[in-house]
Amino acid sequence: MLNLIKNEWMKIFKRSGTYVMIGILLLVTTVAGGFIKYQDSKGSVPDNSDWKKGLQVQNEEYNKHLNEMGSSASKDVKEYYERNIAINNYRIEHDISPNEEYSVWGFVSNISDLIDFVGLFVIIIAAGIVSSEFNWGTIKLLLIRPIKREKILLSKYITVLLFGLFMLFILFAYSAVLGAILFGLPENPLSYLNYYAGEVKEQNIIVHLIITYGMKSVSMLMLATMAFMISAAFRNSSLAIGLALFLLFMGEQVTRLISMKYEWAKYSLFANTDLLQYIEGTPMVEGMTLGFSAVMLILYFLLFQVIAFGVFKKRDVAA
Amino acid sequence: MKSIVEIQNVTKVIKGRTIIDSLSFNVNKGEVFGFLGPNGAGKTTTIRMIVGLIGITSGDIKIQGTSIKTDFEKAVSHIGAIVENPEMYKFMSGYQNLIHYSRMSKGISKKKIDETVELVGLTDRIHDKVKTYSLGMRQRLGLAQCLLHDPKVLILDEPTNGLDPAGIREIRDHLRKLAREKDMAVIVSSHLLSEMEMMCDRIGIIQNGKLIDVQLISDFVHGKEKMYEIEVDNKDKASKLLQKTYPLIRIKQTEIGVLLPLIKEDVPETVQVLVHNEIQIYGIKEVTKTLEDRFLEVTSNKEETAHA
Repeated sequence: MLNLIKNEWMKIFKRSGTYVMIGILLLVTTVAGGFIKYQDSKGSVPDNSDWKKGLQVQNEEYNKHLNEMGSSASKDVKEYYERNIAINNYRIEHDISPNEEYSVWGFVSNISDLIDFVGLFVIIIAAGIVSSEFNWGTIKLLLIRPIKREKILLSKYITVLLFGLFMLFILFAYSAVLGAILFGLPENPLSYLNYYAGEVKEQNIIVHLIITYGMKSVSMLMLATMAFMISAAFRNSSLAIGLALFLLFMGEQVTRLISMKYEWAKYSLFANTDLLQYIEGTPMVEGMTLGFSAVMLILYFLLFQVIAFGVFKKRDVAA
Repeated sequence: MKSIVEIQNVTKVIKGRTIIDSLSFNVNKGEVFGFLGPNGAGKTTTIRMIVGLIGITSGDIKIQGTSIKTDFEKAVSHIGAIVENPEMYKFMSGYQNLIHYSRMSKGISKKKIDETVELVGLTDRIHDKVKTYSLGMRQRLGLAQCLLHDPKVLILDEPTNGLDPAGIREIRDHLRKLAREKDMAVIVSSHLLSEMEMMCDRIGIIQNGKLIDVQLISDFVHGKEKMYEIEVDNKDKASKLLQKTYPLIRIKQTEIGVLLPLIKEDVPETVQVLVHNEIQIYGIKEVTKTLEDRFLEVTSNKEETAHA
């Protein structure tokens, strides 16, 4: 099995396209860093010791808004105000100033938005890893080795996952290094204030970042698996890339629209990929829980795998 | 001779169409078996079934006694094959391609790879990218790829497709050598008859998914009867006379005389008959049938009987 994965890894890294992907990822991160640095130098952090008063004024403002809107306030808006009020109160009680310097961790956290970008590349690899063999004609030489087809397919899937981890690692490590150079390390270890279900909790910033990266990678994982399934079952990499990318960038919005009207939206894949909604925020459809989403994700995952392996195992290779 | 590949009553149905219809034959150790048939006869389909790329609807294929259906891994480990063109990863070097395939079989050392490269004569260019290879070199790399694990059966689908005469000859010499020296069974498919004639010990002819005939190449080309053309002065008289003597054979008139199939022993008698009846004989010559003639003869004969 290790040998098979080594083979797949070799095939990925002997192609120049892979290096272009890594290059683009580094470039975009660098540009984002430069941009933030440029903005950052314009506005300096206000160093007023009266921040507690400021927060109190802000909270009063929020409460006024909430009362004015009353029951007509939408769920999202209400949630937003409540969250800010709770965090502000926590800051006042525990003497944590909101005026902290933008540092490496802030940058790494901002850069986590680029995970969708990593998703793009992982989907391209996942969509090509089986169908390319068909396109190149090499599948005929690959499947006449004394190795079961399932094992070959599994090694390809594991390679896709490893490639995803590799790209995430590059993003995390590079943004941490770049952030440290551009924005410096914070003087004292920061914590992140997390608001969930009406409560505010302090979290170690690095733990928080790793959780954020992990959670944001869920939709990447699911869509890469879907692209892999299409690639293995239909041997069509264009369809796999097109569909998976469309869903990666549009799936959540479309599901959000549907969820406003229909409750069944919660069974769609994209209502469940954003697990951060349970940790900080509110679920897309009322009544959804982390457990529910986990079960849905596992079901979708199994569905994709069953189709991929079922079709690939049976298929007559006539290309 | 021990048979190493057994095709037992194999049938393949795709979408209700019978592509291969109860095909049976054996291939022995140390022989080059040619698989001959027109395009679309089912050669490639049969080969794909032997190597397990496509399923078998009914019947079974055994390699060294192991069924490809029930124990794919063991059966296929005896096989080295090129199915259609030797497609390689073009963005990698020849050597990296071989490393790739060597990782997929058990116990292939670096030394073995080097030996194989040497055998197919690619030592100079093995570290260049496959992109830069000529078709002949790719064919050789393909051969190296299927020889890595010392298979007992070598299967090549249209191995000389697109090669120039030198390349064809090279492949031919390789195959004969392998069959002889390593006691391998080699199965080659082709629609090119002349090539088969030079390469194979035995050939099986397939048409419309059915096996028509399996013959030793020498028997196949020559048969027992040979065609003789006798140059005479009076064609009509000669053909009437001979028809009387041999009522069963078909006699044809040509521009210069008559053409008829005879076995060697009958030649003197024929001459006597003609001489006795005062027909002038200017010459007798044996007309050798090529594989092509035989092939067309066999396939059209079988078709006639099938239609009758």
